Amino acid sequence: MGEVKAKKTNESKANQEEEIPGVITTTTSAIHNFLKKTKAQDLINWGRKNSLWFMTQPMGCCGVEMIATGCAHYDTDRFGIIPRNSPRHADVMIISGYVTKKYLPALKRLWEQMPAPKWVICMGDCSISGGPFYESYSTVQNIDELFPIDVFIPGCPPRPEALIQGFVELQNKIIAKKDRGTEY
Amino acid sequence: MDARTIIQSLTGAFSEAISEAEVESPVRIRAYVDGSFAKEVCQYLKDSLQFDHLCSVCGVDYPKRNELEVVYHIASYDHPVVLTLKARLPRDSPEIESIVPVYWNANWYERETYELYGIMFKNHPNLKPLVLPEEMLGEWPLRKDYEGFPNRTARNLV
Repeated sequence: MGEVKAKKTNESKANQEEEIPGVITTTTSAIHNFLKKTKAQDLINWGRKNSLWFMTQPMGCCGVEMIATGCAHYDTDRFGIIPRNSPRHADVMIISGYVTKKYLPALKRLWEQMPAPKWVICMGDCSISGGPFYESYSTVQNIDELFPIDVFIPGCPPRPEALIQGFVELQNKIIAKKDRGTEY
Repeated sequence: MDARTIIQSLTGAFSEAISEAEVESPVRIRAYVDGSFAKEVCQYLKDSLQFDHLCSVCGVDYPKRNELEVVYHIASYDHPVVLTLKARLPRDSPEIESIVPVYWNANWYERETYELYGIMFKNHPNLKPLVLPEEMLGEWPLRKDYEGFPNRTARNLV
Protein backbone atom coordinates (compact mmCIF):
# COMPACT_ATOMS: atom_id res chain seq x y z
CA MET A 1 0.00 0.00 0.00
CA GLY A 2 2.77 2.39 0.95
CA GLU A 3 4.53 1.96 -2.40
CA VAL A 4 1.40 2.70 -4.38
CA LYS A 5 0.78 5.88 -2.42
CA ALA A 6 4.34 7.02 -2.95
CA LYS A 7 4.03 6.53 -6.70
CA LYS A 8 0.84 8.56 -6.82
CA THR A 9 2.40 11.51 -5.04
CA ASN A 10 5.36 11.44 -7.45
CA GLU A 11 3.02 11.56 -10.42
CA SER A 12 1.04 14.45 -9.01
CA LYS A 13 4.29 16.40 -8.43
CA ALA A 14 5.38 15.74 -12.01
CA ASN A 15 1.99 16.95 -13.26
CA GLN A 16 2.27 20.12 -11.24
CA GLU A 17 5.64 20.87 -12.81
CA GLU A 18 4.22 20.43 -16.29
CA GLU A 19 1.28 22.67 -15.54
CA ILE A 20 3.31 25.87 -15.11
CA PRO A 21 2.24 28.05 -18.03
CA GLY A 22 4.89 29.26 -20.43
CA VAL A 23 7.70 27.26 -18.82
CA ILE A 24 9.32 24.15 -20.30
CA THR A 25 10.46 22.01 -17.41
CA THR A 26 13.12 19.37 -17.50
CA THR A 27 15.37 17.58 -15.09
CA THR A 28 18.96 18.59 -14.46
CA SER A 29 20.35 15.30 -15.75
CA ALA A 30 18.68 15.94 -19.13
CA ILE A 31 20.64 19.17 -19.57
CA HIS A 32 23.71 17.38 -18.29
CA ASN A 33 23.34 14.52 -20.76
CA PHE A 34 22.68 16.91 -23.63
CA LEU A 35 25.78 18.97 -22.86
CA LYS A 36 27.96 15.86 -22.84
CA LYS A 37 27.37 15.45 -26.56
CA THR A 38 28.32 19.04 -27.41
CA LYS A 39 31.52 21.09 -27.50
CA ALA A 40 30.37 22.81 -24.30
CA GLN A 41 31.58 19.78 -22.37
CA ASP A 42 35.16 20.63 -23.33
CA LEU A 43 34.77 24.01 -21.69
CA ILE A 44 33.16 22.46 -18.62
CA ASN A 45 35.95 19.92 -18.37
CA TRP A 46 38.53 22.69 -18.70
CA GLY A 47 36.91 24.35 -15.71
CA ARG A 48 36.70 21.12 -13.75
CA LYS A 49 40.29 20.12 -14.33
CA ASN A 50 41.51 23.47 -13.08
CA SER A 51 39.63 23.31 -9.80
CA LEU A 52 40.41 19.89 -8.38
CA TRP A 53 39.80 20.56 -4.71
CA PHE A 54 40.74 17.56 -2.64
CA MET A 55 39.43 16.46 0.71
CA THR A 56 41.89 16.63 3.60
CA GLN A 57 41.23 13.20 4.92
CA PRO A 58 44.54 11.62 5.95
CA MET A 59 44.29 7.92 6.74
CA GLY A 60 47.87 6.83 7.33
CA CYS A 61 51.44 7.96 6.87
CA CYS A 62 50.67 8.96 3.25
CA GLY A 63 48.37 11.52 4.80
CA VAL A 64 51.41 13.43 6.02
CA GLU A 65 52.67 13.70 2.44
CA MET A 66 49.19 14.71 1.35
CA ILE A 67 49.09 17.54 3.88
CA ALA A 68 52.61 18.56 2.86
CA THR A 69 51.39 18.75 -0.73
CA GLY A 70 48.64 21.11 0.34
CA CYS A 71 51.06 23.42 2.16
CA ALA A 72 52.72 26.51 0.74
CA HIS A 73 55.99 24.95 -0.38
CA TYR A 74 54.55 23.07 -3.37
CA ASP A 75 52.06 25.82 -4.24
CA THR A 76 49.45 23.51 -5.76
CA ASP A 77 47.16 26.49 -6.29
CA ARG A 78 48.83 26.97 -9.67
CA PHE A 79 47.04 23.77 -10.76
CA GLY A 80 43.85 24.73 -8.96
CA ILE A 81 44.44 22.02 -6.36
CA ILE A 82 43.30 23.26 -2.97
CA PRO A 83 42.81 21.22 0.20
CA ARG A 84 39.31 21.44 1.65
CA ASN A 85 38.18 20.31 5.06
CA SER A 86 34.64 19.35 4.16
CA PRO A 87 33.58 16.57 1.79
CA ARG A 88 30.83 18.87 0.52
CA HIS A 89 33.41 21.30 -0.86
CA ALA A 90 35.64 18.66 -2.40
CA ASP A 91 35.97 17.17 -5.88
CA VAL A 92 38.70 14.62 -5.25
CA MET A 93 38.93 12.02 -2.53
CA ILE A 94 42.43 10.71 -1.91
CA ILE A 95 42.48 7.26 -0.30
CA SER A 96 45.76 7.77 1.48
CA GLY A 97 46.30 4.64 3.49
CA TYR A 98 45.07 1.20 4.46
CA VAL A 99 41.29 0.94 4.78
CA THR A 100 40.34 -1.07 7.83
CA LYS A 101 37.07 -2.93 8.04
CA LYS A 102 35.95 -0.51 10.73
CA TYR A 103 36.82 2.58 8.68
CA LEU A 104 35.23 1.47 5.39
CA PRO A 105 31.65 2.54 6.31
CA ALA A 106 32.91 6.02 7.25
CA LEU A 107 34.88 6.28 4.00
CA LYS A 108 31.83 5.28 1.97
CA ARG A 109 29.79 7.88 3.80
CA LEU A 110 32.35 10.60 3.02
CA TRP A 111 32.27 9.53 -0.63
CA GLU A 112 28.49 9.78 -0.69
CA GLN A 113 28.60 13.23 0.92
CA MET A 114 30.75 14.61 -1.90
CA PRO A 115 28.74 16.27 -4.67
CA ALA A 116 29.31 15.10 -8.24
CA PRO A 117 31.46 15.43 -10.30
CA LYS A 118 33.95 13.63 -8.07
CA TRP A 119 37.05 11.53 -8.53
CA VAL A 120 39.14 9.17 -6.42
CA ILE A 121 42.91 8.91 -6.27
CA CYS A 122 44.56 5.88 -4.68
CA MET A 123 47.71 7.05 -2.94
CA GLY A 124 50.36 4.66 -1.68
CA ASP A 125 50.84 0.91 -1.68
CA CYS A 126 48.44 0.39 1.23
CA SER A 127 45.40 1.59 -0.66
CA ILE A 128 46.42 -0.11 -3.92
CA SER A 129 47.02 -3.59 -2.56
CA GLY A 130 47.22 -3.49 1.22
CA GLY A 131 50.93 -2.70 1.31
CA PRO A 132 52.61 -4.29 4.32
CA PHE A 133 49.14 -5.28 5.57
CA TYR A 134 48.14 -7.28 2.48
CA GLU A 135 47.52 -10.45 4.50
CA SER A 136 45.92 -8.78 7.49
CA TYR A 137 42.65 -9.85 9.04
CA SER A 138 41.34 -6.34 9.55
CA THR A 139 42.08 -4.47 6.29
CA VAL A 140 39.82 -4.31 3.24
CA GLN A 141 41.55 -5.54 0.08
CA ASN A 142 40.89 -4.53 -3.56
CA ILE A 143 39.64 -0.99 -2.99
CA ASP A 144 39.28 -0.54 -6.78
CA GLU A 145 36.19 -2.77 -6.65
CA LEU A 146 34.51 -0.39 -4.21
CA PHE A 147 35.39 3.05 -5.63
CA PRO A 148 35.83 4.23 -9.26
CA ILE A 149 39.54 4.97 -9.00
CA ASP A 150 41.15 7.05 -11.73
CA VAL A 151 44.77 7.30 -10.68
CA PHE A 152 46.97 4.94 -8.68
CA ILE A 153 50.09 6.49 -7.16
CA PRO A 154 52.50 3.78 -5.94
CA GLY A 155 55.09 4.52 -3.31
CA CYS A 156 55.53 4.02 0.39
CA PRO A 157 54.76 6.85 0.86
CA PRO A 158 54.87 8.69 -2.50
CA ARG A 159 56.59 12.05 -2.53
CA PRO A 160 54.44 15.18 -2.85
CA GLU A 161 55.81 15.53 -6.38
CA ALA A 162 54.35 12.12 -7.20
CA LEU A 163 50.98 13.20 -5.84
CA ILE A 164 51.09 16.36 -7.96
CA GLN A 165 51.93 14.21 -10.99
CA GLY A 166 48.94 12.04 -10.13
CA PHE A 167 46.76 15.14 -10.17
CA VAL A 168 48.20 16.12 -13.56
CA GLU A 169 47.39 12.63 -14.89
CA LEU A 170 43.85 13.06 -13.59
CA GLN A 171 43.62 16.43 -15.37
CA ASN A 172 44.75 14.76 -18.61
CA LYS A 173 42.09 12.08 -18.17
CA ILE A 174 39.39 14.68 -17.59
CA ILE A 175 40.42 16.62 -20.70
CA ALA A 176 40.48 13.37 -22.72
CA LYS A 177 37.00 12.48 -21.34
CA LYS A 178 38.32 9.16 -20.08
CA ASP A 179 37.89 9.70 -16.35
CA ARG A 180 35.71 7.37 -14.34
CA GLY A 181 34.12 10.19 -12.35
CA THR A 182 31.84 11.16 -15.24
CA GLU A 183 29.84 8.82 -17.44
CA TYR A 184 30.22 9.61 -21.12
CA MET B 1 62.32 -0.73 47.77
CA ASP B 2 64.21 -3.34 45.74
CA ALA B 3 63.03 -6.33 43.73
CA ARG B 4 63.60 -8.96 46.41
CA THR B 5 61.62 -7.21 49.13
CA ILE B 6 58.74 -6.68 46.70
CA ILE B 7 58.65 -10.40 45.90
CA GLN B 8 58.79 -11.29 49.59
CA SER B 9 56.02 -8.86 50.46
CA LEU B 10 53.83 -10.14 47.61
CA THR B 11 54.28 -13.83 48.37
CA GLY B 12 53.85 -13.14 52.08
CA ALA B 13 50.52 -11.41 51.56
CA PHE B 14 49.13 -13.84 48.95
CA SER B 15 50.85 -17.16 49.59
CA GLU B 16 48.11 -19.14 47.78
CA ALA B 17 47.42 -16.83 44.84
CA ILE B 18 51.02 -16.01 43.81
CA SER B 19 53.21 -18.72 42.31
CA GLU B 20 56.51 -18.93 40.45
CA ALA B 21 57.57 -15.51 41.69
CA GLU B 22 61.09 -14.79 40.50
CA VAL B 23 63.59 -11.96 40.28
CA GLU B 24 64.91 -11.64 36.74
CA SER B 25 67.09 -8.59 37.31
CA PRO B 26 67.17 -5.68 39.78
CA VAL B 27 64.49 -3.95 37.73
CA ARG B 28 62.37 -6.85 36.45
CA ILE B 29 60.33 -9.32 38.47
CA ARG B 30 57.64 -11.75 37.38
CA ALA B 31 54.93 -13.81 39.00
CA TYR B 32 51.91 -15.93 38.17
CA VAL B 33 48.66 -15.05 39.85
CA ASP B 34 45.52 -17.08 40.34
CA GLY B 35 42.88 -15.58 38.05
CA SER B 36 40.29 -15.15 40.79
CA PHE B 37 42.69 -13.04 42.91
CA ALA B 38 43.92 -10.70 40.15
CA LYS B 39 41.97 -7.69 41.38
CA GLU B 40 42.96 -8.11 45.04
CA VAL B 41 46.62 -8.56 44.11
CA CYS B 42 46.52 -5.41 41.96
CA GLN B 43 44.87 -3.48 44.79
CA TYR B 44 47.62 -4.62 47.16
CA LEU B 45 50.33 -3.71 44.62
CA LYS B 46 48.89 -0.23 44.22
CA ASP B 47 48.21 0.48 47.87
CA SER B 48 51.21 -1.11 49.59
CA LEU B 49 53.99 -1.51 47.02
CA GLN B 50 53.70 1.81 45.09
CA PHE B 51 52.93 0.13 41.74
CA ASP B 52 50.92 3.07 40.40
CA HIS B 53 51.34 2.63 36.67
CA LEU B 54 49.72 -0.11 34.61
CA CYS B 55 51.79 -0.20 31.40
CA SER B 56 49.83 -2.78 29.43
CA VAL B 57 47.37 -5.64 29.46
CA CYS B 58 47.77 -8.25 26.75
CA GLY B 59 47.07 -11.89 26.03
CA VAL B 60 49.03 -14.93 24.91
CA ASP B 61 47.58 -18.07 23.37
CA TYR B 62 49.04 -21.50 24.14
CA PRO B 63 46.96 -24.03 22.18
CA LYS B 64 49.14 -27.04 23.12
CA ARG B 65 48.62 -26.40 26.82
CA ASN B 66 44.99 -25.45 26.12
CA GLU B 67 45.55 -22.20 27.99
CA LEU B 68 45.30 -18.46 27.50
CA GLU B 69 47.45 -16.13 29.54
CA VAL B 70 46.67 -12.55 30.49
CA VAL B 71 49.85 -10.52 31.01
CA TYR B 72 49.89 -7.33 33.07
CA HIS B 73 52.95 -5.10 33.09
CA ILE B 74 52.86 -2.91 36.16
CA ALA B 75 55.47 -0.29 37.00
CA SER B 76 56.00 2.42 39.56
CA TYR B 77 56.83 6.10 39.67
CA ASP B 78 58.76 5.66 42.94
CA HIS B 79 61.05 2.69 42.30
CA PRO B 80 62.49 1.23 39.06
CA VAL B 81 61.03 -2.28 39.34
CA VAL B 82 58.63 -3.49 36.62
CA LEU B 83 56.40 -6.43 37.50
CA THR B 84 55.18 -8.89 34.86
CA LEU B 85 52.06 -10.42 36.31
CA LYS B 86 50.51 -13.34 34.43
CA ALA B 87 47.31 -15.27 34.91
CA ARG B 88 46.57 -18.66 33.34
CA LEU B 89 43.04 -19.17 32.06
CA PRO B 90 41.35 -22.21 30.50
CA ARG B 91 41.03 -21.84 26.74
CA ASP B 92 37.38 -22.89 26.45
CA SER B 93 36.04 -20.40 29.03
CA PRO B 94 38.61 -17.63 29.67
CA GLU B 95 37.21 -15.36 32.37
CA ILE B 96 39.02 -13.05 34.77
CA GLU B 97 38.02 -10.25 37.08
CA SER B 98 38.46 -6.80 35.55
CA ILE B 99 41.05 -4.54 37.21
CA VAL B 100 39.44 -1.31 36.02
CA PRO B 101 38.37 -0.40 39.62
CA VAL B 102 42.08 -0.42 40.56
CA TYR B 103 43.77 0.91 37.42
CA TRP B 104 41.29 2.96 35.40
CA ASN B 105 43.46 2.92 32.27
CA ALA B 106 42.96 -0.84 32.00
CA ASN B 107 39.59 -0.07 30.42
CA TRP B 108 40.74 0.11 26.79
CA TYR B 109 43.52 -2.48 27.28
CA GLU B 110 40.97 -5.01 28.45
CA ARG B 111 38.59 -4.18 25.63
CA GLU B 112 41.33 -4.80 23.09
CA THR B 113 42.42 -8.03 24.77
CA TYR B 114 38.78 -9.09 24.71
CA GLU B 115 38.26 -8.45 21.00
CA LEU B 116 41.55 -10.07 19.95
CA TYR B 117 41.64 -13.11 22.27
CA GLY B 118 38.10 -13.53 23.54
CA ILE B 119 39.07 -13.19 27.20
CA MET B 120 36.01 -12.10 29.18
CA PHE B 121 36.72 -9.47 31.81
CA LYS B 122 34.04 -9.79 34.45
CA ASN B 123 32.49 -6.57 35.83
CA HIS B 124 34.14 -4.46 33.15
CA PRO B 125 32.18 -1.18 32.82
CA ASN B 126 31.96 -1.21 29.00
CA LEU B 127 33.15 -4.48 27.46
CA LYS B 128 32.72 -3.99 23.70
CA PRO B 129 35.17 -4.06 20.77
CA LEU B 130 37.64 -1.18 20.65
CA VAL B 131 39.25 -1.12 17.18
CA LEU B 132 37.68 -4.07 15.38
CA PRO B 133 34.18 -3.81 13.88
CA GLU B 134 31.32 -5.42 15.77
CA GLU B 135 30.89 -8.08 13.06
CA MET B 136 34.33 -9.52 13.78
CA LEU B 137 33.45 -10.26 17.39
CA GLY B 138 33.79 -13.99 17.98
CA GLU B 139 36.58 -14.53 15.45
CA TRP B 140 39.36 -13.77 18.00
CA PRO B 141 41.97 -12.95 15.36
CA LEU B 142 45.10 -13.22 17.50
CA ARG B 143 44.40 -16.76 18.64
CA LYS B 144 46.72 -19.30 17.00
CA ASP B 145 43.88 -21.30 15.44
CA TYR B 146 42.35 -18.26 13.69
CA GLU B 147 41.65 -19.23 10.07
CA GLY B 148 41.24 -15.75 8.53
CA PHE B 149 45.00 -15.21 8.47
CA PRO B 150 46.77 -14.99 6.07
CA ASN B 151 44.17 -13.23 3.97
CA ARG B 152 44.88 -14.06 0.30
CA THR B 153 42.28 -11.85 -1.40
CA ALA B 154 44.63 -9.00 -2.44
CA ARG B 155 44.99 -8.93 -6.23
CA ASN B 156 47.15 -6.09 -7.49
CA LEU B 157 50.19 -6.54 -5.30
CA VAL B 158 52.78 -3.91 -6.07
